[in-house]
Amino acid sequence: MSEELDRVTTRIREAHAELTPLLKVARDARIGRAEAAGADSSAVCAWNHFENIPTFFNWNNRPR
Amino acid sequence: MPSYVVMQPTTLCNLDCSYCYLPLRAADHRMSPEVSRAVAADVNRWVTGQRFSVVWHGGEPMAAGREHLARLMEPFAPEVEHHLQTNATLIDDAWCDFFRAHNVRVSVSIDGPERHDEARRTRGGLSGYPRIIKGITTLRRHGLPFAALCVVSSPGPAVAKDLYAFFLDLGCEVLGINIEEREGVNERDNRHAAADVRAFWAELTSAWRDDPSIHVREIEWSLRYVSAVLDRTDGDLLPRRLDPIPTVGYDGSVVLLSPELAGFTHDRYGDFASGNVLTTPLATLLREPAALPWVSEFVTGVENCRATCPYFGFCGGGHAANRFFEHGRFDGTETEHCRNSKINLLEGVLDHVRGA
Repeated sequence: MSEELDRVTTRIREAHAELTPLLKVARDARIGRAEAAGADSSAVCAWNHFENIPTFFNWNNRPR
Repeated sequence: MPSYVVMQPTTLCNLDCSYCYLPLRAADHRMSPEVSRAVAADVNRWVTGQRFSVVWHGGEPMAAGREHLARLMEPFAPEVEHHLQTNATLIDDAWCDFFRAHNVRVSVSIDGPERHDEARRTRGGLSGYPRIIKGITTLRRHGLPFAALCVVSSPGPAVAKDLYAFFLDLGCEVLGINIEEREGVNERDNRHAAADVRAFWAELTSAWRDDPSIHVREIEWSLRYVSAVLDRTDGDLLPRRLDPIPTVGYDGSVVLLSPELAGFTHDRYGDFASGNVLTTPLATLLREPAALPWVSEFVTGVENCRATCPYFGFCGGGHAANRFFEHGRFDGTETEHCRNSKINLLEGVLDHVRGA
């Protein structure tokens, strides 16, 4: 069962090389949008504070 | 304590979208200032130790009118962040002045260009699109930043590229994509071929990559998870505690976890309400949410997901309303919503990097 539960994370790790450039795009974009940690947030960027995303912007609130 | 509370200033909506889940949207039941004062009594304590948001939702919250909305906002401390989810049709210069004066952060509901926005109808059956665009244009003229929520009813190939281009042109800073859900009074079938949904998300990722200037909620969360898996920190990603997300209805009744459950009753679960802020403080209502049988059943459902689903680390367990409206109970596991908006989202992002 554990192998079955791990199959998604295993595939992600196998795609490490392909994912790395995409993650860099995301990181650079966050800096461009002033969302990086420590950046001066605009009003709307406050929505993106991951622990404070309102209503239907909430991704999940499930306990671990 | 929660990080935000959803408030329903009125049940009324001036649009009648075909996929809407709200049962009372044709009726104008308005929240009384007594209800907002009761909520503010606790929120004003909570905001001293953390950021806290009040989300004005509806119905269409602007249908309550500026004067009434101002009265409802008045009891909240200045540190409380106000957010408003609107169909944008009522936005004019006076409302923009109101948003600025009350520091309200606005999110508009729009499903893309007019050919994708056909579900959005006035009560007379006309397209709501011209008024929606007029309202957003007014927001932009006033220099007010905004987010957007987009419902996609038919995800598939050759949809996302045009859609993303539209939102780039619209000028929103944040975008959330909701694949249409079967919930509330919306009983439309939300089953789609997995290949179509994956193709939609893969194409969206590709379009976003070409110009990532919009914060797209689904892509951000996917890449946040992927990054954590690669860093082997994914075990720390999900919140450790349940955020109760209280929804306070117009009459002061409180429903936890899923705003979509408000206004519904069920033989086994009753009206889903935890109580009413007019008789019991909100903090008290939040103290033991698992004492409600349906919440307890929901927690069991989350644990069932954790035990069986390889996507749990990404998703954290299906939402309460999706479980209830798709399965008729809360302890089931995979829903169509899971497949459309979590599983095939992550697979679509992976398809994109694989060049599938």
